[in-house]
Amino acid sequence: MKFEGLLWWILLLPLAAAVGITLRTLKDPRRSATLSIGAALASFALTLLFWMANGWTTGQVSVTWWKIGTWTATFDLRVDPLSLLMLLVVTGVGSAIHVYSVGYMRGDPGYSRYFACLSLFMFSMLGIVLAGNFLQMFVFWELVGVSSYLLIGHWFERPAAADAAQKAFLTNRLGDLGFLAGILLLHGLTGTLQFDRLEETWPGMIPALGPVATVAGLLVFCGVVGKSAQFPLHVWLPDAMEGPTPVSALIHAATMVAAGVYLLCRVFFLFTPDALMVVAWTGGLTALLAAAIATQQNDIKRILAYSTLSQLGYMVMGVGLGAPAAGMFHLVTHAFFKALLFLGAGSVICALHHEQNIWRMGGLARRMPVTFWTFLVGTLALAGAWPLSGFFSKDALLAAAWERNLPLFALGLGVAGLTSFYMFRLVWVAFGGTGRSESAAHAEESPQGMLWPLRVLAALSVVAGVLGIQPVLQGILPGLEGTHGAGWWARLTEPFHHAPLPAAGGLVAMGLGLALAWKCYAGVAEDPWVERWPALSRWLRNRLYFDELYAQTVIWFHEAWASFAAGVERWVLNGLCLGLIRGGTDLLGQSLRLLQSGNLQTYALVFGAGVALLLWWVLGG
Amino acid sequence: MTALGWMVLIPLLAAGAVLFVPRDAARVPRWLTLGALSVTLVLGLRVFAGFEGAAADADGYRMVTDLPGLGAPSLGIRCRLGVDGLNVALLLMAAMVGLAAAACAREIQHRGKEFYFLLLLMVGGILGAFASLDLFFFYFFHELALVPTFLMIGMWGRGPDRAAAAYQMTLYLTAGALLALVGLVALYLQVPPELRTFDIPTLTRYFSDHPLPSSVQAWIYPMLLFGFGILVSLWPFHSWAPPGYAAAPTATAMLHAGVLKKFGLYGLLRVGQPWLPDAAADWMPVVAWLALGNLLYAGWVAMRQQDLGRLLGYASVAHMGFVFLGLTAGNALGLTGAVVVMVAHGLLAALSFAVAGHLHQQAGTLEIRRFGGLGRSMPFAGATLTMAALAGCGLPGFANFIGEVTVFLGAWQVQELRAVTVGALWAALVVGAVYMLRAVRAVVHGPVPAAGQLGQDIQGWSGRWPYALLLAGLLCFGWLPQILVGKVEPAVAKMLPVDRSGVLAFGATPETDLLDAPSADTLCGSGVGQAEMANSPSGRTAVQQVR
Repeated sequence: MKFEGLLWWILLLPLAAAVGITLRTLKDPRRSATLSIGAALASFALTLLFWMANGWTTGQVSVTWWKIGTWTATFDLRVDPLSLLMLLVVTGVGSAIHVYSVGYMRGDPGYSRYFACLSLFMFSMLGIVLAGNFLQMFVFWELVGVSSYLLIGHWFERPAAADAAQKAFLTNRLGDLGFLAGILLLHGLTGTLQFDRLEETWPGMIPALGPVATVAGLLVFCGVVGKSAQFPLHVWLPDAMEGPTPVSALIHAATMVAAGVYLLCRVFFLFTPDALMVVAWTGGLTALLAAAIATQQNDIKRILAYSTLSQLGYMVMGVGLGAPAAGMFHLVTHAFFKALLFLGAGSVICALHHEQNIWRMGGLARRMPVTFWTFLVGTLALAGAWPLSGFFSKDALLAAAWERNLPLFALGLGVAGLTSFYMFRLVWVAFGGTGRSESAAHAEESPQGMLWPLRVLAALSVVAGVLGIQPVLQGILPGLEGTHGAGWWARLTEPFHHAPLPAAGGLVAMGLGLALAWKCYAGVAEDPWVERWPALSRWLRNRLYFDELYAQTVIWFHEAWASFAAGVERWVLNGLCLGLIRGGTDLLGQSLRLLQSGNLQTYALVFGAGVALLLWWVLGG
Repeated sequence: MTALGWMVLIPLLAAGAVLFVPRDAARVPRWLTLGALSVTLVLGLRVFAGFEGAAADADGYRMVTDLPGLGAPSLGIRCRLGVDGLNVALLLMAAMVGLAAAACAREIQHRGKEFYFLLLLMVGGILGAFASLDLFFFYFFHELALVPTFLMIGMWGRGPDRAAAAYQMTLYLTAGALLALVGLVALYLQVPPELRTFDIPTLTRYFSDHPLPSSVQAWIYPMLLFGFGILVSLWPFHSWAPPGYAAAPTATAMLHAGVLKKFGLYGLLRVGQPWLPDAAADWMPVVAWLALGNLLYAGWVAMRQQDLGRLLGYASVAHMGFVFLGLTAGNALGLTGAVVVMVAHGLLAALSFAVAGHLHQQAGTLEIRRFGGLGRSMPFAGATLTMAALAGCGLPGFANFIGEVTVFLGAWQVQELRAVTVGALWAALVVGAVYMLRAVRAVVHGPVPAAGQLGQDIQGWSGRWPYALLLAGLLCFGWLPQILVGKVEPAVAKMLPVDRSGVLAFGATPETDLLDAPSADTLCGSGVGQAEMANSPSGRTAVQQVR
């Protein structure tokens, strides 16, 4: 491995930018932005340099972090095709979004703070990607959580944003509780937390461990459920849209939420077949529920958020089906087109002066052509239109399901149809027809600084399926079949050769969704579903009442215990126990005081009684 | 005399000097205090940095020095000071907190001379208690630091309940100290008269060579456990702490919650565990559940607090649970983690009480619902409080995480502690985050309250450096834990009763026993070639012993 030192620079430059901004340039927005963007671009450039020098290499740099006796915690920078691919995605998409942020956040009072947090996030995310052991993974896992917390709460004076930040962090912490317990269990069982050592020893231990091995895998999966917002811990992600839109694009669509899928691929060897079954169904269920909820949301960012949930569910399902390479492939393509869609939404929101309700948009296709066309490319890619990137990755997932689990294949097809339906609903309502509000009628295209990232990401969304990502993933993970032969045409048509039915099925589902969206939403001014299916619409609009369910269970449970403990503290410990001690001491003092009354007659009487008693005892006994 | 001796003497000498400052020179006591404590901090850094370089004596103590003139040689009492891994970082932490506390004492408007006298006495006592190698001075210095605490709360405290809080704290802590004293005297009397000494290293050697009968250990250990335990707010003897800290002046809360409170834990580590190992092992399950009481119960109570001072007080009670959990684990990981948590929590508690003190000084109250939008109106205080809250809920990057995760890894290896460890995880990751983030949500986030200005932010470098000092300590130990762990670990290794190098103690059964032989073989063999990432299998020694 050449240029190992570069890895440290890739990781630490964003941290240096975050520290530098915090300490030196908080009052100077321009220099803050320059530092942060410079660090992101430099990381990207260095990653490219490293990749060009080494190719898809494998290796690890380790230093001792802390050491107790023979036990060592190491800080590893682990490089293999998986982490290199993820490095390229994170630094590449991250750089585009950094550049975009300059325009989007212009004039914000917390401009420098925003870029400091963004750089902190880049550092933490790169730490996850390069982590070579569970401890380090957990460290950076928490750090992306806190960057996400700080960025969701960027506009912390708005109660909704502050609440959303808190909710995101706490929900993630619930997942991390399982994750850390899983880490402890693995450490107790194997004595190591290094991925490479575990990969050698763990598979041999599974038979002897029995169900414990499944439990260990599922506990680690808990962390994924939190971070990648899988059912039932998905509730934080839609609320996280309170953060600035570039943050939604980078953290809550392209990279951080996908970290869960990355972790699953990283430690795929950990999971027993039973555990994988749970993983697959959790993913499938999330994909379906989120897609259903997305069909009745009216906030442009929330539609995209539920779409993200649904696509993450797809990826997790792919891993659970034993096809981590397919899940990882979808992660990469999804990072491009979902970042594109969010940045497009941000462009719209900016042009409409922070209007997010799609029913107050309309007619934007003509007023914002670049945003519209790039958004359309993102939509088509997400819906899985051939020959865009989303088609290939979704097809890989569907093909894996087709071979391994037919119910999940059917579910996957249904989700593909729903995806196409809610995305084209969004496109028709927001961009089609005529402007339904003052701001929509006078919207203007965004500045070039925001449009160039859109163009770049649109280009990547188109071609990512044939760039040759599949062979790289095939080399390290199971789950991607088919030969990726020479020539563009061979690559473009490959899915139809190796598994024609899933490929055709995916396209048919997409077509059906598109047709239904056109039938329901072309040229309407308000949602026809509200009148036609009021109950269904209400349930979907209220997100199937998950938040209420949590309020009644998890939150209620904690509150009840807290009230109980506070009651015990007040009445039993401070009241009864201390009261008894205090009262007892008082009583003792009071009664002793009676003896010391200073009254001579009393003393004489007691003395006389004492003498009589003594005499009686001595003489009588 | 070495740096260590001066470190203890300078605050005490400065306290004497403050007494002679004329009353009309109102600013001199503060400058004198800051100067003396700056020198102390520099000496503390020298001791810490020079630790590895200094020669260790047979018992593992370095920089051993006598304070001349103190003590009564005829009674076998000598003021000997020395450092090993257990106290070297605590001393540095105490010096940092001492200086920061003095810097944060600007709120003291009247009788400054008396206040700084007591503050210096408290810092000197704390440093002396941690540095003493003599049982008499170990206890004496602690009392020397404890008495000023009560006086400071009573005279400069805040709120209408301060007299009651000071009273309750005095009675409680005196009772605890007394109980511990009885235990220490009982231990002293267990040594045959011709060998009696107050020298801690000698006593440690004696009790290791001539273990006390289990029956004797069984009645002395509880006195130390609960006596020292009361001093550290071991559940359910914690109820002095939150009202006490809420009523204390800023500097006193910082010093007591941050440093002085750790004396009880230090006493258990220095005396209780090594001198009474059998009883410590017997009491392990009880202490583990009491630790869970600290972690979960105090955390829940913290969730319900309406006053920031009390919330931080309960949080500080809760954090002690990690240390007790590490103590009960009794293995290298658990004990090292416990010491790291002690150091980290000292810095953290001082930091959070410092911010709370500033808020009280500005707003005249710490009632949570009166605050809001601090991030806008006082950005520095808001950011510092947020960082303290995040460190308090165990965020990696701060030293607390290193300590907590090490404690967890150690505790998990002890089969009997599994259930408690899971509870502790819940307390650390969920309950702790709930009360800390709610405080941030209510105080730092949200709109600025309509009632108007709460006051000024912490202004300029001159006001901010104490916060920066404490934060720097937290972050430095959080990212470079080896400079701390590397010193602690050898001292901990000497304490381990069963296996001096490994991680097992107290007859813990590793889960590796479950494995079939071949996989255990691969487990043991595979790491040898990869020395740099050698993550020793915890069960290795045990597996070999079994064979």
